[in-house]
Amino acid sequence: MNQMLIRARKSVFLATGISLLAMTSALAGEVTVWSWDPNFNGATMKEAAARYSASHPDMTINLVDFAKADLEQKLQAQLASGTTEGLPDIVLIEDYGAQKYLLSFPGAFEPLNGKIDYSGFAPYKVELATVDGNTYSMPFDSGVTGLFYRSDILAEAGYTAADLQDIDWDQFIEIAKVVKEKTGHPMLGIDLNDAGAVRILLQSMGAWYFTPDGQPAIAGDAKFKAALSTYAKLLQAKEIYKPVSGWTEYTGGFVSGEVASVFTGVWMTATIKAANMSGQWGVAPLPKMPGVEGATHASNLGGSSWYVLSSSAEKDEAVDFLAEVWGKDADFYQKILVDQGALGSYLAAREGEAYKASDAYFGGQAVWQSFSDWLAAVPAVNYGIFTNEVDAAVAAQLPALAEGGSVDDAIAAIDAQVRAQIQ
Amino acid sequence: MSRVFAQARSGLVYAGLSLAAFVSIFPFFWMLVGTTNTAPDIIKGKITFGSALFDNITNLFAQVDMVQVFWNSTFLAIVGTVLTLAISSLAGYAFEMFPSKTRERVFAVLLLTLSIPFAAIMVPLFVMMAKLTLINTFTAILLPSIASVFIIFYFRQATKAFPHELRDAAKIDGLKEWQIFLYIYLPVMRSTYAAAIIIVFMANWNNYLWPLIVLQTNENKTLTLVVSSLASSYYPDYGVVMVATVLATLPTIIVFFLLQRRFVEGLTGSVK
Repeated sequence: MNQMLIRARKSVFLATGISLLAMTSALAGEVTVWSWDPNFNGATMKEAAARYSASHPDMTINLVDFAKADLEQKLQAQLASGTTEGLPDIVLIEDYGAQKYLLSFPGAFEPLNGKIDYSGFAPYKVELATVDGNTYSMPFDSGVTGLFYRSDILAEAGYTAADLQDIDWDQFIEIAKVVKEKTGHPMLGIDLNDAGAVRILLQSMGAWYFTPDGQPAIAGDAKFKAALSTYAKLLQAKEIYKPVSGWTEYTGGFVSGEVASVFTGVWMTATIKAANMSGQWGVAPLPKMPGVEGATHASNLGGSSWYVLSSSAEKDEAVDFLAEVWGKDADFYQKILVDQGALGSYLAAREGEAYKASDAYFGGQAVWQSFSDWLAAVPAVNYGIFTNEVDAAVAAQLPALAEGGSVDDAIAAIDAQVRAQIQ
Repeated sequence: MSRVFAQARSGLVYAGLSLAAFVSIFPFFWMLVGTTNTAPDIIKGKITFGSALFDNITNLFAQVDMVQVFWNSTFLAIVGTVLTLAISSLAGYAFEMFPSKTRERVFAVLLLTLSIPFAAIMVPLFVMMAKLTLINTFTAILLPSIASVFIIFYFRQATKAFPHELRDAAKIDGLKEWQIFLYIYLPVMRSTYAAAIIIVFMANWNNYLWPLIVLQTNENKTLTLVVSSLASSYYPDYGVVMVATVLATLPTIIVFFLLQRRFVEGLTGSVK
């Protein structure tokens, strides 16, 4: 008995010594792609690969999904390690982070000018991936913004679609007050931990947190002050919005039918359509910044692009694949618009059927046509290296602004925090 | 009078405990409810059971190779736990049984390494694994964790309560050191092992950052990476996320309940 016990214990210790399985690496002709959201980004990439392999049967695609934040951390760690082993051939990077990667890791990404005709793409998407005259990205989905609104609730308050055309934020606040008074619905859901709205306002004026040469454009910058003042006005009109916390509560506001509108990127369309309120929604242009020269109705929130790693063994194939499908196949863009609701940055795709189709969910509006018209008009800005850092500093001041705090004090605090962090 | 007072006091205590129990249990309850609801219902905050459980399970298995992923996590957690306990308990035993000035210094250095955050050694560790061509292997995940300073420290502290007379007696009876460890120390310290199993198993099962950095393919991914990936879509299907979360939570709950009694003994340092 005791002997058996001894033997059993010995075998446990032996078993711990077994050598563990080694895993296979990428096959030749296989293009590895890292992206997030397999139902959106991943699915469009699969569709593109299917089209390409029709004429290039040797090519297979190996799609690896990570959460967006995970992918960024992983890419950052691997690039920082200086070893190229394990890096993919193509990677998806959010536009706000593009300059950070391109400037922090020179030589890591492959310049694509000469291989892709960038004149066919939304100019702001090309600009944000350009460093010293070289453009590195295959522009993908746009975060072009619009004002999604509940047409039935607005009608109850006495407004038609025409009343939302060419308005500015002051007019929007007035409309929101009437909507609240007559229908009881808050116009917006606002998360005071999220500075996305400030980014939208800034880019609609062709401005950003940074000057074109990368210096902070915060203290003393007229457009930054205008954006923050306008948002503070909105935050101080407390009756027009429902305070929310986190993404689920934010989207829950309008999916549940409580909140009457949301101004955000075009990618929100899928979430809005999942709410099963066909015919009750409409899309209007983003309200304009009041009293600012150069203010537009077009802006952007989020969006991402594909990049080819210079270390890739399948570099030529990866570049050719992107150029052939993503670079010029207008039909492909119709397909991903219909299937995934992905609005690409390829402007010629606008002429296709899917883009012109009207959508019953939005009361028969040709929403994709509107979004792609605004897409061409989004002002190009320099997202710089430290967008996330400034974003955190701005978000930290939003609760004070909502309580009626001074805009100048908030700007001074943001400026101090940013300068302390980035220098 | 004093009886009324005592009753009021215990009433208050029970109210407080009920509240604490509610706060602890509600997230689990909501997670279970979430597995049966559609994403829009979950976003709306519905807290009653729905009928989408089967759809959610089907969608999850259609999107992710759950069997493979579950196996990856289980394999890593079990092998990692066995290896960590074997190596770290031996070290803890040795540090306590054979004290010397040099060993004390080594031990002090080991304790100091506890204060270095993992993020600081992540990149050098990755370079090391790349040079050993271990990227995208389970070996790369297990190797850095099997000599766990915390578990060594924990075993050393627990060994202080181990009666040295037992070891002396065993020696007189002619047992070698490894026999003393296996046949005397190990059975006596089973509560300590049980507590360590829970701690290490949970740490391995929930291990996130290092597998994220070192694993490169869908086939090798662990459950934590998959849940994170599912939850971060532009339009997350929360029903599917909840099913994955339940699957990710179950093993730790099972291990905990199996070893619960010994866990408490182990932490309070009792030796039988």
